[in-house]
Amino acid sequence: MCAAETSRAYLEVEHLVKWFGNDRAVDDISFGIPEGSFLTLLGPSGCGKTTTLMSIAGLHSIDSGRIRVGDTVFTSPKEGLFLPPEKRDIGMVFQSYAIWPHMTVAQNVAYPLEIRNVEKSEIDDRVAEVLKLVGLTDWADSLATNLSGGQQQRASVARAIVSNPRLLLFDEPLSNLDLKLREIMRVELKRIQSEVGITAIYVTHDQSEALVMSDEIIVMSKGKIEQRGGPVEIYSQPVNEYVSNFIGVANLLKGKVIDASDGHGNVEVTQNGHAITVPCRIGPGISAGDEAVLSVRPENVHAEREGSANANVEGEVTHAIFLGSYVDCRVQWGDFEWKVIAHPRTRLRAGEKVYLHFDPQHTLAVQP
Amino acid sequence: MRAMLTQENLSTAVVSLIVAAAVIIPLVVLFVSSFKVLDPLGWDTTWGFDNYVIMFTDRIIPKAFVNTLIISSGSTILATFLGVSLAWINARTNCPLRDYLEPYNLIPFFLSPFVGAIAWHNLGEPQTGLLNNWARDLLGIDGALINIDNIWGVIWVTGIFFAPLVYLFVVGSLRRMDPSLEDSARTTGAGLVRTTMTVTLPLVMPGILSGAIIVFVTSAGEFGVPFKLSAPYGWETLTTQIFSKAVGDDANHNLGAAMSMALGLITVILIYIQQRYIAPRSFTTVTGKGFRPNVLDLGPWRWVAFAYNLLFIAVAVVLPIICLLIVSLHPVWTGAIQWDQLTTINYVKTLFWWRPEAISAATNGIGNSLILSFGGASIAMVLALVISYMIHRTKGFGVRLLDFLSVVPIGFPGIVLAMGVLITYIQTPIYATLWILMLGYITRFFPYGQRNISSIMLAISEELDQSSRMAGASWLTTLRRITIPLLKPGIFAGWILLFIIFLRELSISIILFTTGTETLSVGVYYLTNFENEPLTSALSMAQTVMLLIAIYVFRRVAGREALTA
Repeated sequence: MCAAETSRAYLEVEHLVKWFGNDRAVDDISFGIPEGSFLTLLGPSGCGKTTTLMSIAGLHSIDSGRIRVGDTVFTSPKEGLFLPPEKRDIGMVFQSYAIWPHMTVAQNVAYPLEIRNVEKSEIDDRVAEVLKLVGLTDWADSLATNLSGGQQQRASVARAIVSNPRLLLFDEPLSNLDLKLREIMRVELKRIQSEVGITAIYVTHDQSEALVMSDEIIVMSKGKIEQRGGPVEIYSQPVNEYVSNFIGVANLLKGKVIDASDGHGNVEVTQNGHAITVPCRIGPGISAGDEAVLSVRPENVHAEREGSANANVEGEVTHAIFLGSYVDCRVQWGDFEWKVIAHPRTRLRAGEKVYLHFDPQHTLAVQP
Repeated sequence: MRAMLTQENLSTAVVSLIVAAAVIIPLVVLFVSSFKVLDPLGWDTTWGFDNYVIMFTDRIIPKAFVNTLIISSGSTILATFLGVSLAWINARTNCPLRDYLEPYNLIPFFLSPFVGAIAWHNLGEPQTGLLNNWARDLLGIDGALINIDNIWGVIWVTGIFFAPLVYLFVVGSLRRMDPSLEDSARTTGAGLVRTTMTVTLPLVMPGILSGAIIVFVTSAGEFGVPFKLSAPYGWETLTTQIFSKAVGDDANHNLGAAMSMALGLITVILIYIQQRYIAPRSFTTVTGKGFRPNVLDLGPWRWVAFAYNLLFIAVAVVLPIICLLIVSLHPVWTGAIQWDQLTTINYVKTLFWWRPEAISAATNGIGNSLILSFGGASIAMVLALVISYMIHRTKGFGVRLLDFLSVVPIGFPGIVLAMGVLITYIQTPIYATLWILMLGYITRFFPYGQRNISSIMLAISEELDQSSRMAGASWLTTLRRITIPLLKPGIFAGWILLFIIFLRELSISIILFTTGTETLSVGVYYLTNFENEPLTSALSMAQTVMLLIAIYVFRRVAGREALTA
């Protein structure tokens, strides 16, 4: 009984479908997350991540499926249920921050409490508390328009969490900030979320934001879920070509699985008429004889001047760009150009002949 | 959720239908009526093209058509010249005190051209014109220096009154122009004049063309000025002819409808060209960034520019108002100021409705116009708010129709639309009430209010509304606490603009009024037609003072940008 309750997800999205005209923006996706966790929906624009978030928020309707938080069903067209956004008790941080320019910071933050008819003295206490949490105590009485981008962002977060909502939604909140500020705010947002302990869903197209902040990531494309997992898992064990290409940088080669057992095996890759066999890990759902894509991260490609038994690729360095802590190299192998991150000590230079080898533990065969 | 969609669809559909009914029905009725031919006895109608044939065979109408084209072309040339030169002086030269001159350059835009014509009649009439009298006394000229009572007088008055329209279309582009565009022309060796002619003017050309087309269309639809200055002396125009077919002894609504169709066809084509091809281009040539424009040092010529600008303000604003004041203080106007006879009796007769000598057309006019202006502006702004909200914040069925409908009325002169409204509603209970006037006003002018709101609504993000919903506020609370407060400047500016327009409105009122529902401008019309110049001037002064107060309030709340609707 107790086990059954804990296994039940806090937020549950079931078979969500949303059409925009003739486009299936969200195509039958389902997921659930436990209370207090931080989930990121990651994907390029048009993948359906924002549509999913808006569906949870109630800012637009859905065509079929069901969304539930705790014991409350937000929407379920089949049952004729649609809870308007203001009844869902959600905090949301928008891309443009959406700080109301005709109010002060404190008035902005107090608004959700006023709507809930909270007592005046309690509002003041709570607003002060939240402004302290986001570091805006000194700005309480300034007009929202006098704030910098980063400060508006903090005010927006304060407003979203002030009423202790059930859920906190972020719609690409950092995309309008410059790089430096973005890096600071990533950490800040994560800190605030875990201090408050609120369940959060974060939408972004920026993979590094997703990797830094999330407990879990859902990678989406064309309205479908490609993969779901923790940051390390998504990065190191992408299930298919799309995910390994979207998260980080990868060398991707088409090939054929020769043998596979226990998650390990060999993939044959043919390039310019000659075939090489690469020992590697075999991703889920792939068996011997399948077409597969070999995925190798640049930092897992080892380049050496001397050939050796396990170095089965022989190529020529076309670029070697020294970037301080590493050297960004390109190695031409027939028609294929390998991206290689080499240690500065190797002092590779353009025009050199090198041998590449791959550690089977960090070489992965994924679904095409 | 499906319920939400339906609600959205339903409400946009209902509002679209109401607006469509208000805008389209009169135009359709006008079109249909123009093919109804009244038999010679005036009892029965048959279908046919006779009304259109009459327009070519009639003794007066073809001439009126030509006169309309001459007046519109002439006033367009004059207004464009004045508007562009004044805008350039104010935006791009070191003309002294130019920041103080600008508000006065714009005043004619808000005043009544009809009253302007009355004032200029009293300045430039050959015998009793004040200027002609001064010329005889001071310069010793025999006869008259100028004669305003002809087609050239109409061009003069409409030209100076509509110059601010061109000014407003051009001055923004001149101010926002990236100075590097001109600087790079200068570096290639082009001189100042050459740069102005080859770079500056071509860049603001879309603005100039837009302004010119609007002036042409507004002049073609102008009723009061030709009615006062040229029609009594043998130069009829389409508008004065439509008026005489709508009311009076030879009233023939169907012939009036045919003439309205002809006038409306011209204006709607021109407005279509302006909206479709010219207005969009003005955004691509001039960037929206806040540049400091090049300011040209005119040297000693800056005083010439200053004098030129002062002269414009004198002939467009100061002289007419002073003339009205002088004439209004005389028991009879003979053309000479008689200091010992000054009296306020004309104001008593026109303003003090409780006095026995009050003239009811004038006193009714003041009350009715205030009701129409307050009520009409308020209703129109509510409608404008709803329409803007639907166009920019909902995706319901009917939004594109609404977008289209809010441009259509701009294409038709007030007198044309009023003709349609008259024929449509003459047999309903709203005829002979203020409601038919209000309907005409709102239908013709709500787009101006809607643009004031839309421009602000486009600038504020939809997320500001959405975040209020997420904070737990209902749609209505969001509207009350977030959307409307943010739109307040636009709502108020639009309201005052419509208040001003309604307070001076003539060409709709003149078609739709009946005894008891006279408006302020109809009162002026009544006095100038059936009473004397001093009484006319007194009521004109009253209207002008009310307008000047409203303009002052408008400047305080709206500023320059809100005008360029």
